Amino acid sequence: MSTNTIPCTINGKDVEVKEGSTIIEAMKANGVEIAHYCWHPGLSVAGVCRMCMVEIEGNPRLQIACNTQVVKGMKINNTSDKVKDAVKWTLDFHLINHPLDCPICDQAGECGLQDQYMHYGKYEPEMAEAKVKKHKVVDLGPRVVLDSERCILCSRCVRFTDEVSKTNELGIFNRGDRADISTFPGKPLDNNYSMNTVDICPVGALTSKDFRFRQRAWLLKEHQTVCTGCSTGCSTKVFFNKEGLFRVKPVYNEQVNGHWMCDIGRDVYKFVNKEARLFDAKVSGKGTGAGNGLGAEWILPKRAALKVGETLRANKGKGVALVLTGQHTVEEYDALLGFFKNDLGSDRVFHWVNTVGGGPESLEAFDGLLLRGDRNPNTAGLKESLQKFGIKTQWKELLEGLASGAITTVVVAGPENQTFFPDFKAKVVELSKAPRLIWLTAGKNLDLDNLTGDVTLIPLKSYLEKSGTFVNHAGLRQKIAKGLTIVPNALSLTEVAELFAGREIEAAESCSSIGVGRVQNEATTVRGSL
Amino acid sequence: MSLVQRPKPIANWFLPGILSGMGLTFSKLFWNLVTYVGGNRRIPTLNYPEEKYEYSPRFKGNHVLTVKKDGSLRCTACMLCATNCPADCITIVAAEHNDPTVEKYPISYQIDVLRCVFCGFCEEACPVDAIRMGPEWQTPGLNGASFNYDIMQLAYRPQLKGGIASVVDEKERHEAGI
Repeated sequence: MSTNTIPCTINGKDVEVKEGSTIIEAMKANGVEIAHYCWHPGLSVAGVCRMCMVEIEGNPRLQIACNTQVVKGMKINNTSDKVKDAVKWTLDFHLINHPLDCPICDQAGECGLQDQYMHYGKYEPEMAEAKVKKHKVVDLGPRVVLDSERCILCSRCVRFTDEVSKTNELGIFNRGDRADISTFPGKPLDNNYSMNTVDICPVGALTSKDFRFRQRAWLLKEHQTVCTGCSTGCSTKVFFNKEGLFRVKPVYNEQVNGHWMCDIGRDVYKFVNKEARLFDAKVSGKGTGAGNGLGAEWILPKRAALKVGETLRANKGKGVALVLTGQHTVEEYDALLGFFKNDLGSDRVFHWVNTVGGGPESLEAFDGLLLRGDRNPNTAGLKESLQKFGIKTQWKELLEGLASGAITTVVVAGPENQTFFPDFKAKVVELSKAPRLIWLTAGKNLDLDNLTGDVTLIPLKSYLEKSGTFVNHAGLRQKIAKGLTIVPNALSLTEVAELFAGREIEAAESCSSIGVGRVQNEATTVRGSL
Repeated sequence: MSLVQRPKPIANWFLPGILSGMGLTFSKLFWNLVTYVGGNRRIPTLNYPEEKYEYSPRFKGNHVLTVKKDGSLRCTACMLCATNCPADCITIVAAEHNDPTVEKYPISYQIDVLRCVFCGFCEEACPVDAIRMGPEWQTPGLNGASFNYDIMQLAYRPQLKGGIASVVDEKERHEAGI
């Protein structure tokens, strides 16, 4: 790729563009608006929608911008009446068979057709014929539904399965106005990147089964973050409103994920929603208000952490071990390790390594596109922090310590996303051999709830509720910012470390909350009990 | 710009104000008594509930969810009414219908009518004539919960006699090729 630039004129403005770039790329690079459907920066050029018409000086006819390369001194214009007229009536052709489904279409609100009609169209339709009826609600695979009436045959999804996922499930069948996107018989759209076709679909033809009909696009707010689904650390944004989180979409990041993300990463919002979360600290075992191991006491997380910290410091860290997972931020590791190393003088810190794919060799697995075998966002960061504090321990030392009774208290910074920890139950059984177990966890878990004995569960913040740094597999440091509050009283590991050390923490700054504030019709439940 | 009229110093002399007000009250009382006895009533108040006022047909009363010809709900759960509602009193839960021509429908449609301001924006936002403001306004309830109207109340209450048919028909539109 040459880095030379060549001069050209776009809409009367002289600009320098990269040699070899197409007109549409030059326009995007210079912030010029241009109508388009089939062109996508991450895919090859198809040139089928004919929306990106431009006028080139010296050329009698209009050209498409996506498939024409810029040459030296080219004078390009896409604001002339001739171009506007061409775009308008091309749009009319696109909409000939497009149904009036906007009220029930999931794409409404973020739809290319709606936007471009308001921007370039606004014509009275001149089509007198009846619309061609095609298939509705076609099940393409486990995650995607097709409505072929809404499809405008831009072929983005077909090119995606051809070029990016390289699975070739989709194709265009039949001709003319009977043309139809579909899969081959017996071969559903079932690859780990299938939901990207939903994202790149400019209309509502491909919709996600997970998100289908759950919310309208305009009722959702978005927050940009980093995916915690694996050690690649794709840039993503989560969509939420006060009822909860609803979906995850990729954000363009040249260094990490390009335009895409995998389907596994799109499920990571589920464990953050309040149905899956622990809300208060649970203290069970001897000496609790609930009695001798018969029940549990639910108290404020902050109080529980202070109480635990007192006993930890009273024993001077004797027999205390810390278990960490690669699911928290670098700042949190540093704070907690700092407390254990400096305040307690303990070296017993252990790394709980999880393998989704079987043996330890699966940690190095890579599917060639984005997904990695190490399903933790920050394993590299954890290793870095452990090295910084000079900790070199093996998991079997913990087991030996538990067996010999040298370790009496285990503090576990448990995983946020328990679905990526197939050995979760086994580890709970293993670690509950400790006479005293303090488990810090974001999510609820039945195995943890069923534990009897001296157990303290403290709710943690999820990755959307705290700021910090994740280090991905390649050593790239990515900052995440606090975006919303789901569990108001939950603590981050930094706060836990502060409280363990007996220091007060600052009150959290406010930001948009889920399930807090007025919920629709909330008053009627109170009124109903009159 | 708003023009603020501050009370003049004369307003501190409240006795003239009281006297003129009482004068108006007693003159009305006197004339009402005279005309009542004379049988030529000019009192604007009604003896509710024996007498009831006839509102105009455009009156915006309790909401009605219209139905299709087969009696099922016309609503497609597009949530435009809930989006447009200034009082935030409409709660819809959408679901997938078994019939692919229907696709989306509400499994729950609730209007918290005590929160509703009867502005009629829901009616205006609806693209399929699924919600209308009806003529009813006398709707007492036993407790607060009876003012949270659900689908049974909104579409199939006894006063509607099986439901009000919507003017938008999917099948007709489908056959017309729209």
